[in-house]
Amino acid sequence: MGIEIGARTDVGRIRSNNEDSYRVVAPLNLFVLSDGMGGESHGEVASALAVEIVATHCREASNNVAAPFYGESKPLLSEKTNRLASAVHLANRKIREAAQEDPARRGMGATILAAWMDGPRLSLVHVGDSRAYLLRAGELEQLTSDHSLVAEQVRRGLLTPQQADASEMQSVLIRALGTDAEVEIDADEHVLVDGDIVLLCSDGLTRMVTDPEIASTLLTHSSAQAAADRMVELANEYGGEDNATVIVVRIHQESDGLFSYLRRWMRRSPAPTAEGKGK
Amino acid sequence: MAKLVLKFESTVLKEVPVGGRPVMIGRAPDNDIPIDNLAVSNYHARVYTEAGRLVVEDLDSLNGTFVNDLRIERTTLRDGDSILIGKHHIVVDEAHEAAVPLDTGRKVSAPKVDETMVLDTRERRQMLQAALAAGERSQLAPSRLRVPTLAVLRGRTNQNEYVISSKLTVIGSSEMATIRLRGWFAPEVAAQINKRDDGYYLGRAEIIPKVNGQEILGPTRLNDGDLIEVLPGWLFGIGQVRLNFLFRD
Repeated sequence: MGIEIGARTDVGRIRSNNEDSYRVVAPLNLFVLSDGMGGESHGEVASALAVEIVATHCREASNNVAAPFYGESKPLLSEKTNRLASAVHLANRKIREAAQEDPARRGMGATILAAWMDGPRLSLVHVGDSRAYLLRAGELEQLTSDHSLVAEQVRRGLLTPQQADASEMQSVLIRALGTDAEVEIDADEHVLVDGDIVLLCSDGLTRMVTDPEIASTLLTHSSAQAAADRMVELANEYGGEDNATVIVVRIHQESDGLFSYLRRWMRRSPAPTAEGKGK
Repeated sequence: MAKLVLKFESTVLKEVPVGGRPVMIGRAPDNDIPIDNLAVSNYHARVYTEAGRLVVEDLDSLNGTFVNDLRIERTTLRDGDSILIGKHHIVVDEAHEAAVPLDTGRKVSAPKVDETMVLDTRERRQMLQAALAAGERSQLAPSRLRVPTLAVLRGRTNQNEYVISSKLTVIGSSEMATIRLRGWFAPEVAAQINKRDDGYYLGRAEIIPKVNGQEILGPTRLNDGDLIEVLPGWLFGIGQVRLNFLFRD
């Protein structure tokens, strides 16, 4: 499985500092993104700690299976997914410790979104409102659910998605790293196929740019980096109210001979009708 | 917003919008659509939205709920479907659905709290309490703990039945697939099933599977008894793969 990566972060048009952090660990196919919060420069500290700890913990674990494990291992999840969750538990502890050491850092916290690819398997964990999307066959699907108050209200049927988009409470998170001794993590797994594009982004993108625009940007740019650049530009053109960070990962199946070619050829459905049924 | 139109013969008796909260139908007067007829149970059926689809569910009524003349336990609805309860028809009208704002324009800029913040446990509990009180009614009743399984009805696979026991279940010929398809032309990764908090969702990978004869339009929640067509097959059904999703006790 071949992948092509693009990434970009931007401070936006309003803020003076960028509290987002991201890290691409190409040899591991590991992608980590975090959006920090807390006054002064504490958000930057928190998000930098988050990506650093997650990346380091996963690298250690991939070299040493016996690396210490944090949190509870779940049999439902693969080893890689459990390891990512362990990394996020560790990051939560470290950020909380850092916040407690210094009274000025009270309220410091961060979101976390981490994706780890193991062949065609994608492990995904997150806490907060940074999002992962999958673009497959022209359709954009949001893979994560926001841990924000408005998203929770939508899930409970109290707000419509439109009301949530216009709410002044959009910045209120119900889960984040660094605020509690233990953190509840969402962990999920997906399988990737040729042509898939995975997008990781901070809310600075999704508050400014609509899902259809995200989909069309991913579809119309042939390189992952160009798509990443364009999405951040769009967020700025629409006001750039917050820091925006995106990581774009495009999947290219490496051809494995005549049979896979034949299989693909035989499955060529009458594309216009099959695709036309979508939205 | 879609609406339900209650009819007796050709007379329209009532129109009820259906949105966030389930619409209750039955003989008791506190239903959203009360039907005063002895053939109708007190709380006969309800219609609600699930993942953007309208769903009607029979509430163990004595005389049953019929959709387009087929008796149903629970089924998704489409515009124009007719629900028969007793002698009354309830017609689904999605024509008045507010156009889904597929605006490619910019997002409405919202007034908002300047800085991202996180609620502490106590605040969170308080703010969600109200939400819980209102939202609880729309939650599905928790079912008994039952084991999700896939039974192979047709097609060449490495087992006849599978218990779904992980977050991700892959259907395909690849070595990583749980449900291993055999045959030269089986796709490596045909489709996937993801376990989420509220159920099991079937999603496409290399092909678009069908559930109960319909191509799925996105990740689709599986209901007990659903028929899944993974591969359509060719002449005489050669190469066809069909599965049955079941909760076993």
